[in-house]
Amino acid sequence: MRTKPRFRSLAPFMLFALTTSAAIGVGVAHPRHPRPRREDDSAQKFNEGEKLFRARCGYCHLAGGTGTIMLGRRLGKDHALLDQRTDLTAAYVKTITRVGLNSMPPHTRIEVPDTELDLIAAFIARPASAHTPPASPPSTRATHE
Amino acid sequence: MPVVLPPNVSEKNFQKALDAFAGVVGRQWVLATDEDRYTYMDIYAPGDADEHIPSAAVGPQSAEEVQAIVRIANEYKVPLWPISRGKNLGYGAAAPEMPGTVVLDLGRMKRIIEVNERFGYCLIEPGVGFFDLFAHLQERKIPLWMSVPANAWGSVVGNALERGYGYTPYGENTRNICGLEVVLPTGEMIRTGTGAMSNSACWQLFKYGYGPSWDQAFVQSNYGVVTKMGMWLMPEPEATLGLKMQLPNPDDVGWAVDALQPLRLSGVLQQNPSIGNSLRVVATQTPRSQWYQGDGALPDDVLRTILSKYNLGWWGIDLRLYGYDEVNEAHAKIIKAAFAKHTKQEFEVTKWHRGEPIEDSGAGVPATRALQIINWRGGRGGHLGFSPVLPASSEHVLKQFHSTKKRYEEIGVDYYGSFTLFERYTTNVNMMVYDRDDQAMTSRVRNLFKVLVADAAKEGYSEYRTHLSYMDDVALSFDYNNHALRRLNETVKDALDPNGILAPGKQGIWPKAFRGSRA
Ligand SMILES: Cc1cc2nc3c(=O)[nH]c(=O)nc-3n(C[C@H](O)[C@H](O)[C@H](O)COP(=O)(O)OP(=O)(O)OC[C@H]3O[C@@H](n4cnc5c(N)ncnc54)[C@H](O)[C@@H]3O)c2cc1C
Ligand code: HEC
Repeated sequence: MRTKPRFRSLAPFMLFALTTSAAIGVGVAHPRHPRPRREDDSAQKFNEGEKLFRARCGYCHLAGGTGTIMLGRRLGKDHALLDQRTDLTAAYVKTITRVGLNSMPPHTRIEVPDTELDLIAAFIARPASAHTPPASPPSTRATHE
Repeated sequence: MPVVLPPNVSEKNFQKALDAFAGVVGRQWVLATDEDRYTYMDIYAPGDADEHIPSAAVGPQSAEEVQAIVRIANEYKVPLWPISRGKNLGYGAAAPEMPGTVVLDLGRMKRIIEVNERFGYCLIEPGVGFFDLFAHLQERKIPLWMSVPANAWGSVVGNALERGYGYTPYGENTRNICGLEVVLPTGEMIRTGTGAMSNSACWQLFKYGYGPSWDQAFVQSNYGVVTKMGMWLMPEPEATLGLKMQLPNPDDVGWAVDALQPLRLSGVLQQNPSIGNSLRVVATQTPRSQWYQGDGALPDDVLRTILSKYNLGWWGIDLRLYGYDEVNEAHAKIIKAAFAKHTKQEFEVTKWHRGEPIEDSGAGVPATRALQIINWRGGRGGHLGFSPVLPASSEHVLKQFHSTKKRYEEIGVDYYGSFTLFERYTTNVNMMVYDRDDQAMTSRVRNLFKVLVADAAKEGYSEYRTHLSYMDDVALSFDYNNHALRRLNETVKDALDPNGILAPGKQGIWPKAFRGSRA
């Protein structure tokens, strides 16, 4: 009685996922966000997002991680570290997190709930003006290499 | 994308079950969109990822919620597949065996309930990741060490329940299990070992309890949902001593195993080293296309060029001694003497002392860098693990190595293997790395896997764990007395799980209700 759906049934969804990400993604200049009115609120939001980024994405996206290596390989060294990119939109980050990309596995809404993903995406897509040079080298060798 | 419902469940009842789940955990934690289903599929699978597509996932936050979900599942005959963090990459990731099964994702249950320094154990929930427990121990400066797999993205509990292993003297995590809390398929809660006493003083100390011992019956099993696990941790040693060597020739793995196995058995070497081919190292650092663009498996001469460029041997050995400096020195001397009978090469020696950076110690330090190998072929990478267990002797190791390598070459896949050495057996993990977009390659890999299982069975070797798609194949190789063990497993299954709602097909154990689904 076993149903064996075919692989093909997935294809439209995958195609949707990949074309969307291609359209809004790689190499497209980052649209300037209007500056949030309450400066301190957004700083706090980015802080929260950064913490979550390190906890949920840091496995692969800090220095030495497989995400960092692969992005460096494909897009060049200056595009390797996700948290230092200025060309990614929040929508793109969210799509990739849910559908994955090449060897990056998709993330479930239990691994990263929508509320957390909003904060992570906002942090990665923060305006260039909110980028501060990292206080210490970004590598956290002790936990993430 | 049409939803694949569980067998024999109507759309209406399925919806009712989801609503009832939502009543327990809240709407937010019942995941049933197309995107949700996609996130629980085995994306590294060769080809037919949706062969194991779930219908939904539900994420409880407590053991009581697990009980309520299991009771609802019985009411609507909706099967559940429990996962801890669901990072079982190479073996099926978060996906269930039978399509339409609802994933019971325990990832939100992340409590570290107790860490006991004096007696060296922890009591944890399934969602606790290796990184979480490591951070907990480090932040509190608790001198206990974990045994961590090369891909540490997953959970301590899920890894132990799959009989996964790391590489310290506490290597195999399943050996460290001491006391479980389990929700049975009927929704009843039990505690194993002495935890069955409501005021047990020794739940995490004494494994056996009184009468039959049940911990291992819930490992690689579909008899219950583990909601808490006691796990022994290793006391931090005063010092460690590392011994590294590159072995230049393919056949060197034979004498290395013969030299090391008696030392494992006698306890001179207490950890389980992994002797792996150096392509493992190369594949984490460079793409294949940089070295070779032709057809077929990587030719031997190309491999030689790569290895000499990086000063690597065909195999790498990385041993570690743990304990007191003087004892480590004495044991190192014995190991060196054993190797001197076979090679003029000397070990590269490193030392670590308490207080120095833990990354240099040989402790289980979580990392995910090993995942980088999946990118070796390019495209959307994928991989499968084929992992037979052999007697730890050169006779078996060399024969299996050569026959596996030949099989890989026949279908144009690069050989990628390791032998992890325990006291009496060796676990031979072979990875198949492929490009999921290359349909011809993935279908060759699928066939290869079945051939390898059959080859191994002919030699009397079983697998230590396996991918979802091959659970029935491996179960079939346990054929003594016309599969008497499977009959026992399924008799127990039917007694514990009359509606067959828990992980049908796991390890080839099918409940009555779904026995027709056996491959
Ligand atoms: C490059 C690479 C290297 C790897 N290296 C290693 C290694 O060195 N050692 C190793 O062991 N593995 C290794 N793996 C395999 C795998 O990634 C790990 O074993 C990982 O820990 C498994 O994922 P998890 O812990 O999230 O388990 P899960 O996916 O949560 O669980 C695995 C299975 O166990 C059962 N299960 C889980 N939780 C429960 C529960 N609470 N109750 C009942 N049943 C349950 C289910 O059947 C589930 O599908 C490697 C994988 C890759 C890709
Ligand atoms: C298990 C490893 C892993 C984890 C965890 C992971 N990623 Fe990735 N990620 C990768 C890899 C590998 C790539 C590169 C894929 C490629 O280009 O081949 C990548 C690429 C990306 C990209 C594409 C960037 C671009 O320029 O196209 C985004 C965006 C991204 N990741 C976001 C995230 C976010 C957000 C998280 C955490 C919620 C996360 N990733 C967690 C492995 C990971």
